[in-house]
Amino acid sequence: MPLILLPLLRFLIAILSITLSRARRPLAVLSHVVDAALLAWLAVSLARGVPAALTLSGASTGVGISLIGDRIAITFSALAWGLSLAANIYVWKDRLRPYFFLLMHLLVGACYALAFTMDLFNSYLLFELLTLVSFLLVGYGRQPRQIWASLRYLILSSFGMTLFLFGVGIVYAHCGTLDVDVLRPVVAASAGEPWVLLSAALLTAGVSVKAGIFVFSLWLPAAHARAMPPVSALLSGVVIKMGVLELFRLADVFPLRLPLIVLGSITGVLGIAYAVATHDIKKMLAFHTLSQIGYVLIGFGADTQVARLGALAYAVAHGLFKALLFLSVGDAAAHAGGSELPRLIEGKAKIPWGARIALLIGTLGIVGLPPLAGFDAKAILEDGLPSLGLHIVVWLLSVGTVVSFSKFVPFLFARSTCRTQRPHAWAYGWLGGLILAFWPLSVLMTSTSLCLHALGPMHLLESLAILLAGGGAYALVRRRLPVSLPDRIFHLEESPLIILLGFFLVFALLLVGAPG
Amino acid sequence: MAIIVSFVLLGIGILALVLRRDLVIKLLALGLVNASSILFLVSIGNRPGGRAPIQSPGEIAILVDPLPQALVLSAIVVNFAILALALVFVMILVERYHTTDAQRIEHEMSQETDEEETPCL
Repeated sequence: MPLILLPLLRFLIAILSITLSRARRPLAVLSHVVDAALLAWLAVSLARGVPAALTLSGASTGVGISLIGDRIAITFSALAWGLSLAANIYVWKDRLRPYFFLLMHLLVGACYALAFTMDLFNSYLLFELLTLVSFLLVGYGRQPRQIWASLRYLILSSFGMTLFLFGVGIVYAHCGTLDVDVLRPVVAASAGEPWVLLSAALLTAGVSVKAGIFVFSLWLPAAHARAMPPVSALLSGVVIKMGVLELFRLADVFPLRLPLIVLGSITGVLGIAYAVATHDIKKMLAFHTLSQIGYVLIGFGADTQVARLGALAYAVAHGLFKALLFLSVGDAAAHAGGSELPRLIEGKAKIPWGARIALLIGTLGIVGLPPLAGFDAKAILEDGLPSLGLHIVVWLLSVGTVVSFSKFVPFLFARSTCRTQRPHAWAYGWLGGLILAFWPLSVLMTSTSLCLHALGPMHLLESLAILLAGGGAYALVRRRLPVSLPDRIFHLEESPLIILLGFFLVFALLLVGAPG
Repeated sequence: MAIIVSFVLLGIGILALVLRRDLVIKLLALGLVNASSILFLVSIGNRPGGRAPIQSPGEIAILVDPLPQALVLSAIVVNFAILALALVFVMILVERYHTTDAQRIEHEMSQETDEEETPCL
């Protein structure tokens, strides 16, 4: 029952919040309280070993739409809940049009539904709903660049989702069902057949456009950098993760091991390269979203139970610190007069102390200082990686992240003259607290033994070595920054072509990995 | 046959999406790409000699698969919403830049600094 109530109540509250626009704040509180209770209900069912499951339309599995409250679904919906709470607190006193709250509720409701659904066509519709809602949220400020960024997002997302729909069609033509659980044995029985490879490539390419993967999601840097801070926080923290979640679901059905590892490495390395090269801090955070998805994909593609749990924990950790960073950088940029690095350094005295502390916690989280969120999740993920090559890629990404975030040092420490707005301080406190107290949370998400092992001396030494190496590398390259890297790939003309090339890449990788 | 046509339409749509610089034509191309997926879905539900899936009592006839037809209804609605919203945003951009040329809009936007930016509405 909570599986259907969670999204439906959100949609209901979304409609109420625009019809009774004066009651939108109490309604926001109510929605979060009710959602917390329903999520706790689902978590208790899972802990008892009987995950909640429901087949809609009264038909048997395979014909009706099945919903499931498994570990992945509950983790991602809890992340959506936590970030939605932070975003709502952040805008508590802001004067926003009522439809902003309608869109926020719809966004979170769609995320819940997407987390629970096991039906491919249902996922397609929910992705499209997410696209439409995110499109309106990105363009909310009506600045020309926001409108342009959201238009590109809409066109490319819609193109990606058409590829997904072709994949759905091929799957249905051969299997007569779209339920992921029912598909698994059917696809396994026809492993290596052309239709399996083609549909897997189409579905993966389509979802990757939404999942923040470098060659596919080239709309992302502009959209996330240009949107309002709470919107960027939600888009980067949770909406992108819905694409990742769908990839997780697809990886259970199709042989996506090799594509996930290769795409993870590509998005990780290229994301870091662009993040290091830019001096616009909001854009840098957006590029880091692309690069951090790399860890998650590598972890899931490594196909061991521990690495998968680590990837899940990292997806949550990334959601938390990226949301905190987007909120605090947005606050800092508003006070300093821009998000360019020189502007932030020049106006550093105007950055409120709350935003400064939030920036510090977020940065320490993302660079992996023990025992914060980034360190803990990455250590679990690394414990599950089967080969040295994957370890090297993860180390490279970690050093690159430290290099990139070293840019924050010049404006982090100064005497502040500005006070933090109280709602902002509460939002920072909520997210910062979760990042600091991530270890107990990760015990809930994974297991006690894995989390204890993550705190071992080897991991502590490794993280300190990475911090030192990254700091040293930044000192070497600092004077050469910013570097201009090719930006034509982000233009609307080239992006569909690059998505197509990405599709052929995935298809080739599936062909290489296919049996026989 | 219809499946081949749907792939041809997809190809034409992608070509237009990549090659044409006009935003309205790009959106029409996107509409074509979306329509190709709808044609594909309907055509995979086809049975040779099949009739519309409305069965009378006692009648035994070959019917086409009704599920893809039900699915495309939702897809058509979603695509309509996307096109409508995208066109509204194109209108807002045209009011400001007086052109539908994607490259010119990108060029003019890159010339503006953040201070010069004012909300469009």
